[in-house]
Amino acid sequence: MAVAVAKRRQTRGLGNERVREALVGYGFIALPMAFFLLFFIVPVGYAVYISRYDWQIFKGPYVGFGNYRHLWHDSVFWTHAVRNTLVFTAFVVPLEVALGLALAVVVNQGIRFRGFFRAAFYFPSLAASAAIASIAIYILASDGLFNTVLNHLGYHHNNAWFTQESTALPSIIGLNAWTTSGTIMIFYLAGLQAIPTDVYEAAAIDGAGAWRTFWKVTFPLLKPAHFFVLVTSVIGALQMFDQAFLIGGASGGPNYSTMTMVLYLYNQSIKNISFGYGAAIGVVLFLFLFTVTLIQRLLFGKPEVA
Amino acid sequence: MDTEQLPPVAAAEQLAHEGEAAKGTPAATGIPGRERGERIRTAIAYVVMFGVAALFFIPFLWSVSTSFRTLADTVAGFSLLPKHWTLSGYREAFHTFNFGQYTLNSFIIAGAITISNLFLASLGGYAFARLKFPGREALFLLVLGTLMIPDQLRLVPIYLMLVNWIPSWVAHLGWHNASFINRNGVIGIQLVSAASLFLMRQYFLTIPRDLEEAAKLDGAGYFKTYRKVMLPLAGPAIAAVTILTFQGAWNGLFWAAILLQDKSQYTIPIGLANFHFAYQTLWPPLMAASVLAILPVLVLFIIFQRYFVAGVAASGVKG
Repeated sequence: MAVAVAKRRQTRGLGNERVREALVGYGFIALPMAFFLLFFIVPVGYAVYISRYDWQIFKGPYVGFGNYRHLWHDSVFWTHAVRNTLVFTAFVVPLEVALGLALAVVVNQGIRFRGFFRAAFYFPSLAASAAIASIAIYILASDGLFNTVLNHLGYHHNNAWFTQESTALPSIIGLNAWTTSGTIMIFYLAGLQAIPTDVYEAAAIDGAGAWRTFWKVTFPLLKPAHFFVLVTSVIGALQMFDQAFLIGGASGGPNYSTMTMVLYLYNQSIKNISFGYGAAIGVVLFLFLFTVTLIQRLLFGKPEVA
Repeated sequence: MDTEQLPPVAAAEQLAHEGEAAKGTPAATGIPGRERGERIRTAIAYVVMFGVAALFFIPFLWSVSTSFRTLADTVAGFSLLPKHWTLSGYREAFHTFNFGQYTLNSFIIAGAITISNLFLASLGGYAFARLKFPGREALFLLVLGTLMIPDQLRLVPIYLMLVNWIPSWVAHLGWHNASFINRNGVIGIQLVSAASLFLMRQYFLTIPRDLEEAAKLDGAGYFKTYRKVMLPLAGPAIAAVTILTFQGAWNGLFWAAILLQDKSQYTIPIGLANFHFAYQTLWPPLMAASVLAILPVLVLFIIFQRYFVAGVAASGVKG
């Protein structure tokens, strides 16, 4: 009965109803779309526009590609920011991926307190980077916990790890690998759980040990997860800002040893108030990241977990 | 040994062939080997887990321990627990170094961003999932496309837009542009995220249509259907968006570092960043403030752990 009534109503006002539904739809998405337009789409064009001007505190004369030429000859950018970022990425990605994968495999086993361990390994990824960095600064201080332990082990080290030019970046690499491995563990867990158990049974029947099963069965079957994790962690590492800013400050000290590309962008735009130059760095960074993503897509296809 | 050098796929194929060859061996020899392998694997797993868990926990425990120490205690040689328990670290952090204000600011910013994300993402997600309108797919692709635009590219234009484009009548309401953009700027540019919207839409797509049709027959309008039928059914997605957004906003550093110039509007992360450069080795208040920064997220995480993991997996899978 009710269905019949509804049908009659529907046929009568079909055209109206469709228009109404569309209008309501536009109404519901109006605010989010306006927001995305204003704070995502417009800034892309505006960034390119700003980058063509000598724009300090106020908008100055049009300089064409002047800011880009300046960047091309900017030795701090190339010899410190770019170099540090590439070194950071080259070391932190293998470290965090290996650690994340190992943790995922371990907490995927049928052992007690599994939930607790998962939580414990994941938590550093969730805690505020500022708090983690403060704790790390404290532990790696000259008379901090880490040096105390080293001294007890007979290895005497009395310098703060973050304030020495030679140890600052490696320390940040270690810190970042620690805090990102939890997220990577979660990604790998999703991949691991998508592997059917009969594959393992087959391997066990064939007498393959745990180590062998991992390398010959699990690892290759995680291929989709590997791609996803690699793409995500490479892009993330190239955009590193938090730890560099928190530990080295806006100037990437000591002596630019913790200066990264994004930190340099921050330094030039906000500290130096060179908006035109900062915008140019932003555009170049975007093109660089876009190219890296594109290359990864071409090499591995679209990343997807399981 | 030589198989180590083979690419993974080839190795898997070879493993299959070895299986063929091993068919003739009696099953009895295979099973003890498997049991031993499993026992060893479990034992290794336990050792690794306890070792790594200890490494993961020591920094946090050490910071909590220090937050209850006196300053003199932190330089008086190693001790696991404070020699004299004191709350002075927290008192100093709260009053002397303004972390009480910063905590409040963090709650205001993270709270406002979370509420706005929940509303805009669920309303938009409902429209993208259920309502038919021309250009729906293209517009949704546009939303997802914003995930490709990195914050670095947006830094300068957004800063200048906020400083220069805010109409003067806003400033006349008693805010100077410079101080107006601080907290309001951080909130304003994070009102909704493509990830929240995506999560809500995906969840709405899984809800069966019957209930909406029933509501429609009862004469409920679209907004009423959204509020009375869809939202109550979207609990897990709402939980995931809430905690992920809150956690991201609470921890947020990048935009806060750019937009928060006014000291009275600092969040805890910015307060921590500045504290370390200004006061170097005043460890107890620094650790107390770090504990403050971690605590709300820890509580959220303990209560809603499964939503964290589900949310990360969901937003990570196709984001």
